[in-house]
Amino acid sequence: MARRHAVQQEETEINITPMLDIVFIMLIFFIVTTSFIKETGIDPKRPEAETAYKQERGNILIAINSVGEVWMNKRKVELGQVRQMIEQARNESPESSVVIIADEKSATGVLIDLMDQIRLGGVSNISVAAELEGGG
Amino acid sequence: MRRRVAIHGEEAEINITPMLDIVFIMLIFFIVTTSFVKEVGIDVNRPSNAPVQEQKMSEVVAIRIDETGLISVQNREVDIRAVRANIESELATKPDASVVVISDRNADAGLLVRVIDQARVAGAEKVSLAAMAR
Repeated sequence: MARRHAVQQEETEINITPMLDIVFIMLIFFIVTTSFIKETGIDPKRPEAETAYKQERGNILIAINSVGEVWMNKRKVELGQVRQMIEQARNESPESSVVIIADEKSATGVLIDLMDQIRLGGVSNISVAAELEGGG
Repeated sequence: MRRRVAIHGEEAEINITPMLDIVFIMLIFFIVTTSFVKEVGIDVNRPSNAPVQEQKMSEVVAIRIDETGLISVQNREVDIRAVRANIESELATKPDASVVVISDRNADAGLLVRVIDQARVAGAEKVSLAAMAR
């Protein structure tokens, strides 16, 4: 009787191999798709544009608010610091490009100075964030 | 003897529970940190400060934005809604021309983006950005 009981217990064990397969596939999927975007800390009003498209590699974000302050990594930075921070971010992920999130009301001068600093930091792929026209 | 072999075989099984723990923790970490939100934006070409060949003015469609937000295409004042048509007609006469947006430092960035967008809609492949001298 004791022997029979043991056999039954072994049979009721759940086979976890398929679950493990799925878990591993999910793990690999998330590792591959993760791209550690660093938030800027502010959310300016983006201008609208028709030809805007998704920036697949844009994971260095810099924001300019309506009074011309530059924000990066959730804190306010001076224009002179931007170059160093870009170089640092580029060391972490060399493939990345920069997206500038400029407020509609910010001055063009700040945007152009910022683009110069980014280029000095070694990233030439710069784009300006926009909202797709028509509530995209 | 037979019994002993069976026990031995059971003992040789690898315990995968700690590995499973680690895999689950990694899975949760990556699920939490993944952000699928991609920024939407337009590419902007900014001529570098390094010496470049001067483009002949005849091969350039120049769009100027002054500090009050007035837009002029080839020195003709136009409305933002007319920018596209104006650039289209300029490009029709000079198909190889490149479009340069020259913006005042105090003009709104939103207006600049809209002008670049309109130029792109009009068919200009490369739109460069230049700043007026201080």
